Amino acid sequence: MAAPLPLTLPLARADLPRRPSTPLTVMMRRIVTLFVVHGILIAGAVVILMPFLWMLITSIKSPAEIFAASFSLWPKHFNAVENYTFALNQVPLLRFAINGVIICATLLVVQVLVAVPCAYALAKLRFPGRSTLFALVLLGLCIPIQVPALPLYMGLANFGLLNTYFAIMMPFFLSVFAIFLFRQFFKGYPDEIIYAARLDGMSEFEIVWFIVVPSAWPAIAAFSVFSFIAHWNDLYWPLIVITDTKLATPPLGMMFFADAETGTNYGALTAAATVLTAPLVIAFLIARRHFIDAITMTGIK
Amino acid sequence: MIMASAAINAGPMPAPRRNRQRLIESVAGCGFSLPAFLLLLLIYIVPLLVLGYLSFTNYELGALDTRFLGFANFRKALSDPVFRRSLGNTFAYVAIVLPGAVGLGLLIAVLLHRRKRSRSFYEVIYFLPVTSTLIAMATVFQFMLHPSIGPINGVLKALGFSAIPFLSEPAYVLPTLAAIGIWHLVGFNMVLFLAGLSAIPRDLYEAAEIDGCQGGLDRFMTITWPLLGPTTMFVIVTTSITAFKVFDTVAVMTRGGPMGHSEVLLYAIYLEGYQYFHMGYASALTLIFLAFVLIISVVQTLVIERRVHY
Amino acid sequence: MNRLRILLGSIMVAVTMAAATSARAEQVTLDVLYAFPAFAKFHEPIAEAFMKQHPDIKIAFRAPAPTYDDGHQTMMRQAVTNQLPDVYYSGFHLLTELVRTLNKRNQIVDLAPLLAAEGKAFREQNYSDKMVALGRVDGKLYGLPFNASSPIMFYNAELVKKAGGDPEHMPDTWDALLALAAKIKAGGPDVAGIAYNVNDWPDVWLYHAMIMQQGGTVVDGDNVPLGGPVIGVKALQTFRRFATEGGMPLIDWDQSRQQFIAGKIGIFFDTPARLRQVTDLIGDKFTLRTAIFPIDNKAKGGLPTGGNAAIITTHDAKKQKAAWEFVKFVTGPEAQKIVVEGTGYLPTNLRATGPQFLGPFYEKNPNFRTVSLQMERAVPWQGYPHGNTVRIWRAQREIITGIMRGEIEPKAGYDRLLKETADLMKAP
Repeated sequence: MAAPLPLTLPLARADLPRRPSTPLTVMMRRIVTLFVVHGILIAGAVVILMPFLWMLITSIKSPAEIFAASFSLWPKHFNAVENYTFALNQVPLLRFAINGVIICATLLVVQVLVAVPCAYALAKLRFPGRSTLFALVLLGLCIPIQVPALPLYMGLANFGLLNTYFAIMMPFFLSVFAIFLFRQFFKGYPDEIIYAARLDGMSEFEIVWFIVVPSAWPAIAAFSVFSFIAHWNDLYWPLIVITDTKLATPPLGMMFFADAETGTNYGALTAAATVLTAPLVIAFLIARRHFIDAITMTGIK
Repeated sequence: MIMASAAINAGPMPAPRRNRQRLIESVAGCGFSLPAFLLLLLIYIVPLLVLGYLSFTNYELGALDTRFLGFANFRKALSDPVFRRSLGNTFAYVAIVLPGAVGLGLLIAVLLHRRKRSRSFYEVIYFLPVTSTLIAMATVFQFMLHPSIGPINGVLKALGFSAIPFLSEPAYVLPTLAAIGIWHLVGFNMVLFLAGLSAIPRDLYEAAEIDGCQGGLDRFMTITWPLLGPTTMFVIVTTSITAFKVFDTVAVMTRGGPMGHSEVLLYAIYLEGYQYFHMGYASALTLIFLAFVLIISVVQTLVIERRVHY
Repeated sequence: MNRLRILLGSIMVAVTMAAATSARAEQVTLDVLYAFPAFAKFHEPIAEAFMKQHPDIKIAFRAPAPTYDDGHQTMMRQAVTNQLPDVYYSGFHLLTELVRTLNKRNQIVDLAPLLAAEGKAFREQNYSDKMVALGRVDGKLYGLPFNASSPIMFYNAELVKKAGGDPEHMPDTWDALLALAAKIKAGGPDVAGIAYNVNDWPDVWLYHAMIMQQGGTVVDGDNVPLGGPVIGVKALQTFRRFATEGGMPLIDWDQSRQQFIAGKIGIFFDTPARLRQVTDLIGDKFTLRTAIFPIDNKAKGGLPTGGNAAIITTHDAKKQKAAWEFVKFVTGPEAQKIVVEGTGYLPTNLRATGPQFLGPFYEKNPNFRTVSLQMERAVPWQGYPHGNTVRIWRAQREIITGIMRGEIEPKAGYDRLLKETADLMKAP
């Protein structure tokens, strides 16, 4: 885990003079290193930020300036109101964002409710079929959604369930990743406490939800971040099961919006892109640590 | 320690009580995993069986008669120029994204690792693309890469080069999409590498320094790189799977064009299955896709095993 | 355990209920699907106007399909999954294919009895014979044309003048036009003479137009000669010349349009449906003019009628009645006025051109009149007789792009086009 480093840095190691280095040359070398390191990092950061910057700037420019033969960074005339109103009126952008929130939140709740008991059972309980189930979970980890998508689509079509929230969420009710992650986390939970709780007469259900889960918040928080990013941005599955604008997720809505004609109206298009990208980016800026820990935790698996 | 306490707890337990506990665990274990198991069946197992069956038939959505074809779909896939092209395109894409996203992720992580004050500042910036909606950003990229009014070509022209039609020239389209893929992934890999770097004990560096490892590169090659091995393997595997699944940018920016030069595996499957409804053939293609992902995943499992032992 | 189950169960129920209630409403709700999302700008106001007149009918639009071809595939899929909208606007070139598919499953409504019930006078006042003919498949009336157009020439008057051309009298043959395009291209380092975006067009329209303007035959009964060895190859050679002589950039169709709007392409071919939008985006950057599509064969040359026809798929009697009211309305003069002013399409209703409706508009906006000047050349725009038109065009377009890039000789390309088209028509 990326714990902050409290260790004191052994800075200029003048106390270990194996080579004759004067404080001055050490200093010089440090400055040059600093220069090179920050030079590379800043150059990279500019490349990374450029699309975001361009998106924001274009979203407040007027068509005349966007299509001007010579290009300028900063707009001379602000067209923000027009672009954003066009984007918000032409296509129900807020609706897409709300859909995204509904779907992500429901999915997260269901995923956690399903995964936590299963992960606890896999980690702490002996029951018939445990190793088979775990093997299946491991197998599930290797199967991307695109594989079962076709039969699932046919099944949903068969039951007339296409074009519902249920259809968007159904394949994701089970997150094998969550089971795996939580199992790893629960494994490290001390058995004594569980035994003690059992002696106190607590049921297994109570042990899971009132004793083990509260200690697993870091894992759950990390998973939430992961789940949210994945389902907010997923395109493949919604593209297949949703044709109703009212149910579109943010990326799908963006796709509906970006046809050839509005495609020419870059001001409005980038305004839309801004509106749909903003929620996650803002969430990230607020809960930065959780996001980064979440990724770190997947690496630990 | 846990073992010991378990022994203490289990020791004095009378036999009937132990049996009762066994029973409770069995019942609770089954009950707890039942919802997950049913969903597993519904979402993975049954669809996989259906997929396997369909791949041997000529089933089309809604078709009234379906014939059993044996391996004909797979044979057709191997000789289908469109499918082979999509496979080639996908591999070419992975071949660019993999070294790019892993190498740059590592470079940034190594540079950032020692920074104290500025670390979180850079972290936020490099991680931003991971959280952004790729579809939305794809439209922005489309504009930026525009041959005549895009800023990138504007800069190229100002520098005296001629404009490059990044997305319209068959030779450039995959590298361009791959560059966007790298942009999207590099922050993710950076965070993983940073975690790996933090796990390397600091005194190792000091010891190395005493042994005469002075230069940064020297230090990197003798300590960082070998100790980062498991992390690197993990990053390579996840990056290749992600790159192998490329779909979004293709669906939005090029739709497989120009002249099929960006038609990747998942897009080809999408067209066959959901646009032309050749479910049987699409099933066979999906299984081939799965085979590739499984091969990469097996490598991943081996890596995880190795990490556990390490 | 139980609490968990109940919680889980109630979430499932809530989700399903939410989905179910949103689908139910007291009034008649018509699901409508159209192609090209940007055309929301006339679909939405028309629906609003309609609902004001018919408060008991609610129009609910499905997510618009990106193109006619995408919409067609969606319809084919939904026919099987029983998810069809009640009303759909089918691209003319795909109407036959769609109608035949839907007919097999009894999922489309014959409009002739509905139209006959309105009386002969109504039909004669509103729809010309030619228009009605566009909605016929296998002798029966399944669609009423909603949008109609044929490709026209947009041009940058300043660039044309600078190259020595006369913006008032644009060339009406392709040789003459290419000569002018070459001069425009010579005028500046990053100016293209011409763009004819057949290499990235979403359907077969521009390809067929180049064959048909020479009087060639694209589809002949069960055969697809694609213009025949002389005319077919000539069309492909012309495409190649756009790139070599006219300096046409081989980029996406919307990127190309943006480049024209930025004032860097002299002559540009497009659907009049985008005239309003292009006009607005150009603003006063340059003078936008339009001219008719050049015709090499003045005696026999034709132009494929682009656009779409409204079809009704619902068999619910109440919905069918509502759907017919809606189709009548969208093809009526009030709705057509909204369409024409917002786009540049031809009106499909006879009364819409009258003095009380579009007359004054055309007086003021001569660019919008161009397409009506070539209407006598309009012929039906056909897809391929054995279906699979969408997929065939994907394959054809790759070959055509190869020709324009100079990688395939037009003659060899023509042979490949014939072969691949025939192969794909045979295969499902």
